[in-house]
Amino acid sequence: MRQNRTPILLIIGCLALAGAFLYLFYVQPQAGIGAPQPIPFSHRLHAGVKRIACQFCHSYVGRSRHPGIPPVEKCLFCHQYIIARHPQILKEHRYFDTGTPTPWRKVNYLPEHVLFNHQRHIRKQIACRQCHGKIEAMDRIAGKRFKMGFCIKCHKRKGANVGCWLACHS
Amino acid sequence: MDRRTFLKLSGSCAISISAGCNSEPAKHLFSMVRAPQDMVAGQPTWYATTCRECPAGCGMLAKIREGRVIKVEGNPLHAINRGRLCMRGQATLQGIYNPDRIKTALLKHNGKFKPISYARALSLLAQRSRQAADRGPDRVYVLTESVGEFVHAHFSKTLAALNSTRLMVFEPFAYEALKTANRQIFGLDGLCAYRMQTADLIVSLGADFLETWLSPVEYARKFKAMHAARGNAKTGRFFHIGPYRSLTAANADRWLACRPGAEAFVAMGLIRQALNAGAGGALGPAAQQTLRELTAGYRLEKVAAVSGISTDILQHLSQVMLASRRPLFLGTPSAACGPNALQANIGANLLQRILDPELQRIDFNGRHRVETAHRRSEIYSFCRQLAADPQGVLLLHNANLRHCLPPQNGIARALAEKTLFTVSFSNFMDATTRHADLVLPVRLPLESWGEYGGKAGLVSTLQPAMPALTGAPHLVDVLAALIPDVRPGGRYARHSLYTHLKHTGVLRNRLQWTQTLQKGGIFQKFAAEDRPPLPELAEGPHMDALRAMVPPQAGGLSLIAAPSIRVFDGRGANRPWLSEIPDPLTKVAWQTPVQVHPATLAQRGLAQGSVVRVQSEKGVLETPAYASHGTIPDVLIMEIGQGHAGFGRYAQKESVNPFHLFPARTDARSGGPAFYTPLTTIKDSGQRADIVHTDGSRTQHGRQIALAVPVSDLVEGKRPPAPGLTMETFPLTLPLPAGYDKKRDFYPAHPHSRYRWSMIVDLDRCIGCGACAAACYAENNLAVVGKARMLEGREMSWMRIERYLDPEHPERVIFLPMLCQHCDNAPCEPVCPVYAPHHSKEGINNQIYNRCIGTRFCSQNCPYKVRRFNWFDWQRPDPLPLQLNPDVTVRAKGVMEKCSFCVQRIKDAHDRAKNAKRAVFDGEVTPACAQTCPTQALTFGNLMDPHSRVARLVHNPRAYQVMGYLNTKPAVIYLKKVIWEG
Repeated sequence: MRQNRTPILLIIGCLALAGAFLYLFYVQPQAGIGAPQPIPFSHRLHAGVKRIACQFCHSYVGRSRHPGIPPVEKCLFCHQYIIARHPQILKEHRYFDTGTPTPWRKVNYLPEHVLFNHQRHIRKQIACRQCHGKIEAMDRIAGKRFKMGFCIKCHKRKGANVGCWLACHS
Repeated sequence: MDRRTFLKLSGSCAISISAGCNSEPAKHLFSMVRAPQDMVAGQPTWYATTCRECPAGCGMLAKIREGRVIKVEGNPLHAINRGRLCMRGQATLQGIYNPDRIKTALLKHNGKFKPISYARALSLLAQRSRQAADRGPDRVYVLTESVGEFVHAHFSKTLAALNSTRLMVFEPFAYEALKTANRQIFGLDGLCAYRMQTADLIVSLGADFLETWLSPVEYARKFKAMHAARGNAKTGRFFHIGPYRSLTAANADRWLACRPGAEAFVAMGLIRQALNAGAGGALGPAAQQTLRELTAGYRLEKVAAVSGISTDILQHLSQVMLASRRPLFLGTPSAACGPNALQANIGANLLQRILDPELQRIDFNGRHRVETAHRRSEIYSFCRQLAADPQGVLLLHNANLRHCLPPQNGIARALAEKTLFTVSFSNFMDATTRHADLVLPVRLPLESWGEYGGKAGLVSTLQPAMPALTGAPHLVDVLAALIPDVRPGGRYARHSLYTHLKHTGVLRNRLQWTQTLQKGGIFQKFAAEDRPPLPELAEGPHMDALRAMVPPQAGGLSLIAAPSIRVFDGRGANRPWLSEIPDPLTKVAWQTPVQVHPATLAQRGLAQGSVVRVQSEKGVLETPAYASHGTIPDVLIMEIGQGHAGFGRYAQKESVNPFHLFPARTDARSGGPAFYTPLTTIKDSGQRADIVHTDGSRTQHGRQIALAVPVSDLVEGKRPPAPGLTMETFPLTLPLPAGYDKKRDFYPAHPHSRYRWSMIVDLDRCIGCGACAAACYAENNLAVVGKARMLEGREMSWMRIERYLDPEHPERVIFLPMLCQHCDNAPCEPVCPVYAPHHSKEGINNQIYNRCIGTRFCSQNCPYKVRRFNWFDWQRPDPLPLQLNPDVTVRAKGVMEKCSFCVQRIKDAHDRAKNAKRAVFDGEVTPACAQTCPTQALTFGNLMDPHSRVARLVHNPRAYQVMGYLNTKPAVIYLKKVIWEG
């Protein structure tokens, strides 16, 4: 036992480090809540508590392949009156007054060779949460890296188009 | 641990380290500050504007995605081009997104440019021009390219405020000889238009109306309206007379190669024939008599001897001409060559008056705007005056005199003088701008308000399709800032355009203004023709000119500078697409070698690729030689447009500028330059250079690629040979389940439910202009690979024009647009180990980029050689990536790519159809190539729909498939070209 102390300690140290790494990477309280955004916008509050419809802000989703993210002016339509003096709203005002686009962090990721069309899915009555999860329960969106299997599984189940170019790529 | 396990583990470790550890992409999504009314992210918005790449003034629609222009297309409502564009028009985009575009004002200090702000440049310009105006009258000069009424009025107003009248309009191709002939014979001081579509015969004395002449897109359409086969008949005929085979000549039924300057002799001979046949009564007895006397010496035998054309062909031409009921005669090319250019134009106009006494083929109303350009003689005398007294301020607006004029004209001296403050409004550091004192770039046409009616009587508006990329001011704002008491900026440009249109009486109210901008202009029909009285022809300057004709040079070499369909006079040379797409006839990309007849090369012990020293009285140039059957043995041809000093990375150091060999002389009668010079010597420099030609072979080696059928066979309805399995007898097999034959096919037929996309290519309509290729580059994010890579055969074009020469008659040419044939029995599909080429249910041969591993087996097995491999990650210097089409993947290194039939457009059409709960209708999908084709040679549609245009066209007796005998069952079906024998 005594002559094995060093290796044992070494192994225990390694295990502790690995454990700490795993904890910080997966279990740590902040993991999975998504990237911090320039304005700490809460989807839980807007979509969950206040029940604002997704399409109110992502207004192109039913008419275009991109859902669109709301312009700064749209935030201020309400926030001119609601918590108007909040420092983060004042920051929003600064974006507006200086004509600076808000640099939101992208959280949902699709490879460049995939051209997803939101309009088609909205028209087929696919709910947003079916792909994006429970947005109304998240403060910061965790986001997703969409993989081909995820799409194909559903397309096959629903008998949707699985032609390579005709469906997703081009 | 055994060796195998170790290798497995280390391999999987290496893979997981390299593939697994990619971090979260550091990407942002930027929200807009305000959402514009007309923008939906992901949906295009279209703005109507006008193309300003040449003086023709075609209408253009700019496609905007997320605030950036990503594609331009012709405006279907526009009276000039009816929805079509040439390749120069398509390349407009590479002007705004050019990486060498000047992004700030530049002031020259001690011979070097230093960036300054636009405001400072503007105040400096205002101060200097005021000083010049105070010093006396006519101290401020403007030298501009041809501009619309709107900008022209602004120039005049500013000059008037600065106490000057010196406004010069410079165009290298100013049609001096044609203008003079029009005045003398038609009584029209300008450039009339031609109703080519109503003719049954066109005789051109060199006019290259399919490339640069007056309005090429318009005339290409009108030409095919008279010349294309209709049903089982073809009536239109076209003879081209000239020393070299331009693209127009290549599309003629007969190209009559003559010595430079002999075109006028041919015209005289034809006048004599016409008069002898009793035509010309409308001219009056006196004129008839003088002409008869004048042409008495031009018997066809003599004309044949002078011109080098055989008597038989001239006899044939004369017979066809006399039999024609609606002939049209056209004059010399844009770059009028040869010594008798004026006489040739007079001859053509005389023939028109003799054989078309009512002048029904001439449109006196729709005069071409380029007629406002000053004659070259006036430009030279302006330059000389400026050199003699270089005082004041010279404003240059896209007038690249140092490139487009022969040296020794005085402008170089004037620009070098300190006392002449030269300001260039150019966005590019071209040869002239380099010598300016101040560079004040202004907005390019796609970013500006403006008006440019390419033809008289129509209003064609320009509106900013996108915000100014470099923040440059409007030209009219700059000009207005030079006038005291005017405060430009803000909405001034827009407002002044509105006021201009209102004052000229074309607009009545605000509603009409909005409608005009939406449509791109006002294109109403004229009530009655406003025709000037025809002049009496018995005597006059034209007779003096005809008497003073000089015989063409016999023996000895000469050089002709030919206008380029790709870069016009050189203004397109910095657009990489235009250099990358090979010239339609030589198939040479990037370079403009000197084209020499193979006999001349052989005689001098030279070969294609030998670098030759070409010497004239005025200078010497070293350039590689290209063996061309498109010229006569004594004449060398060089394309205009390359050899730039400066003008950005894509134009610099490419080839040489033929104008360095030309004298700065003009014709005494017309004031036009000669784009022609005798050569003293041509010598071998001993070096060799690689010619970047993409054609591989000039002939078809009898492989049934591009086919033609004589008119007589078509009229007689000659039956095809009995179906067999040989090259000649293999039947047309449609790419449909009906085309399955168990004796011939190994694989079962592909089922298609509702759609099977197909394209019909009418070779009789294709003129080989290459607009389709340029549109494809723009639409599908094709990479530009550059000269060095092209030499290795690595060009990326999905759509190319193949040019084949007749082995027996190498002066005869046939063009064939070649793109992925989307075969039903595609040879590329079974050879791919990873199933990347894949047959879709709508018949399209998909290439799945993310699946492709780059074995290149598919390309090897493709008999049409339409697949392109990405050997590198191709470079697109900023801001060129802004042009990329967001609907099309940008392919990475190691991936095979090819034509997709513009699948993104098919998907758009499906989307629209699904939203409206209907099927895609015929004509709803138009690939970029078919959309822009000036002659409508390409038709796209659904073969499964029996009423679609393609389904009807496949039953045309001319239909065939390129190398269909390989049983590939291509979905691209060609219609044979129809040729006249004899």
